[in-house]
Amino acid sequence: MSNVQQFQYDNKIVRAFGVASFVFGVVGMLVGLIIALQLIYPSLNFGPWLTFGRLRPLHTNAVIFAFVGNGIFMGVYYSLQRLLKARMWSDTLSWIHFWGWQVVILLAAITLPLGLTTSGEYSELIWPLDILITLVWVVFGVNMFGTILTRRENHLYVAIWFYIATWVTVAVLHIVRSLEIPVTLTQSYPIFSGVQEALVQWWYGHNAVAFFLTTPYLGMMYYFLPKAANRPVFSYKLSIIHFWALIFIYIWAGPHHLLYSTLPDWVQSLGTVFSIMLIAPSWGGMLNGLLTLRGAWDRVRQDPVLKFMVVAVTAYGMATFEGPMLSIKSVNAISHFTDWTIAHVHVGALGWNGFLTFGALYWLWPRLYKTQLYSVKLANMHFWLGTLGIIIYAVPLYWAGWTQALMWKEFTPEGTLAWGNFLDTVTQIVPMYAMRAVGGTLFFVGVLLGVYNLIKTAGQGSFVANEAAEAPAREAHHTSSGEHWHRWVEIRPMQMLLWSTIMISVGGIVQIIPMVFVDSQVPKISTVKPYTPLELTGRDIYIREGCVGCHSQMIRPFRSETERYGEYSKSGEYIYDRPFLWGSKRTGPDLWREGGKYPDSWHFNHMIEPTSMSPGSIMPAYPHLADNQLDLTGLPGKIEALKTLGTPYSRDFEKYAIQNAQEQALKVAKNLADQGVKDSGLENKEIVALIAYLQRLGTDIKATK
Amino acid sequence: MYKYLLQSVEGIQWFGIVTLLLFFGTFCAAIIRIMVTSKKQIDYMSNLPLED
Repeated sequence: MSNVQQFQYDNKIVRAFGVASFVFGVVGMLVGLIIALQLIYPSLNFGPWLTFGRLRPLHTNAVIFAFVGNGIFMGVYYSLQRLLKARMWSDTLSWIHFWGWQVVILLAAITLPLGLTTSGEYSELIWPLDILITLVWVVFGVNMFGTILTRRENHLYVAIWFYIATWVTVAVLHIVRSLEIPVTLTQSYPIFSGVQEALVQWWYGHNAVAFFLTTPYLGMMYYFLPKAANRPVFSYKLSIIHFWALIFIYIWAGPHHLLYSTLPDWVQSLGTVFSIMLIAPSWGGMLNGLLTLRGAWDRVRQDPVLKFMVVAVTAYGMATFEGPMLSIKSVNAISHFTDWTIAHVHVGALGWNGFLTFGALYWLWPRLYKTQLYSVKLANMHFWLGTLGIIIYAVPLYWAGWTQALMWKEFTPEGTLAWGNFLDTVTQIVPMYAMRAVGGTLFFVGVLLGVYNLIKTAGQGSFVANEAAEAPAREAHHTSSGEHWHRWVEIRPMQMLLWSTIMISVGGIVQIIPMVFVDSQVPKISTVKPYTPLELTGRDIYIREGCVGCHSQMIRPFRSETERYGEYSKSGEYIYDRPFLWGSKRTGPDLWREGGKYPDSWHFNHMIEPTSMSPGSIMPAYPHLADNQLDLTGLPGKIEALKTLGTPYSRDFEKYAIQNAQEQALKVAKNLADQGVKDSGLENKEIVALIAYLQRLGTDIKATK
Repeated sequence: MYKYLLQSVEGIQWFGIVTLLLFFGTFCAAIIRIMVTSKKQIDYMSNLPLED
């Protein structure tokens, strides 16, 4: 007979993560609101630190890693302890995890507006932060596995498998995506370049969605939804099946971000096919969640927690249907680079992640404080504001996406582009940006109501820092010959970890290894040469300012694009691009063949004040580029790093790099003077480097040997 | 990364076959598992979140 043990669940750590989640939710969404307004009122781009290009990554990182991230940990720390009937293995590690994570967030908030970025989406943070993230993630893993291994409940509930898969996959993704050579304390070059880096980035990026935004939240759904509904999940069997299918299939979907790019067809096709297959396990999860409430829908009417959770799961279903549709090439040909993608993201982010977080918080907070929710009415108001907010966010952007795509593609009967001036396609959709901002504001106001409600709830209750519990010690489980092997896996978490790791590794290995190791996957072009030192400096300025957030560098093989931008992109053109800058969105035109289109002075004037060259432009102004001293001192280090990575600069070139750059800078400055630019001393300003870079773009294939 | 090891690749068909077998095998194992698991066990697992 096993002895019953007394122990306590740690609620302090749960509360800490919950508070952090809500606080950073407010911060992250506020930044989102600001950047939405900047697209309507470009004068709100307070440079150099608060321009759209620098703030957008702050928004994405804050909402993903600070809001959702802390939400994940809140959910995991609460549910893991109770499902395993054990306190977290180490309180010390819990708090190192908590503070470590918040320190990363703080450093991100400082570095991103300063322009210290790698430019990779959702992997922007500079290399010292990458290392810090790794350490914190290991601490989290040790604590989680320590708890699992010293648990009292033998069987691992399905939510825990999702947490295990999350942990190991995020570790793999983060490490591979962060493979880079540091050049300075705040800058590095990735080891992959061009199309290879693009593939690694979107293998990472899509699986950040899969294993940071989806699997941990599915785990939370499998815990908090039954708790809130007070009934077990609809089909435990279904949860087992869709878990394995999901973690295997999801990994392959990355290339759907690269359709019609220079990524080889076979990889694109894998991305499409697996994305469509993904509907099945995703909807398995959605149906499991919704059907858990069968027969209890009247409770949904009364309980705001259930309302949030139902909409969350429904939004998950919508997003996981839309995503596969967007992965079909013919649909993607319309949606890519438009606001349709943004709408899709926010249905998932606001609906699934946002609402499930709110539902969990509204359920948790009264229990942590041993009281009732302060105001059900306010919670319902939050729910309706949020739901309305999501709709008013997404629908205008669907409209904007279609409008812009169709304008880009429209030809006159004579066979020329109907909307040859890209700017016309932007000004057309600014009213929709305004509507989107209204939607976002509604959602944000709802969040503020929630903060108020939870603060008042805490105020009227008394916090239970350590919740008493009791359970018998775990019996060592002996596998008898009658048991089946999944049970063997389920009660042996290390085997679970191992098998999950194998399943999630397969997609990446099959897609990435040929691209990296097989020469013929990236056909070379003999006239493509490395960037000059000045162009390299300009490219790094382009990255610093976040230009990639609005400008793409990938011309797709459509007549509408070759007419507008020039010859479509070739894989071999990007082999020296570290990092790649293909971009995901065209708020401004594609720049891949920008070189030679306009005189240097056009670029000068356009940078200082975009509306001087493009009336009505919503691009931020960058006058500081003509004021900032051009800093070439980092060049020898950059050249050396790039040579290590295989860029064929000549021997000892790093010794002449600065001089080479200065000579080119003088040429650009002379051009500017000849073309009527009055400012003097521009050869020592950053703007000539950026101009040199822009003028190089896409010109190599026109060069003769 | 610029260090290509192979000019072109032959014979990686096994990638796809192994992948398919791996996935199919795991999927089948999972299905078999749930088919042989007793209702009692399933109910026990489903009720784990409701126990505390």
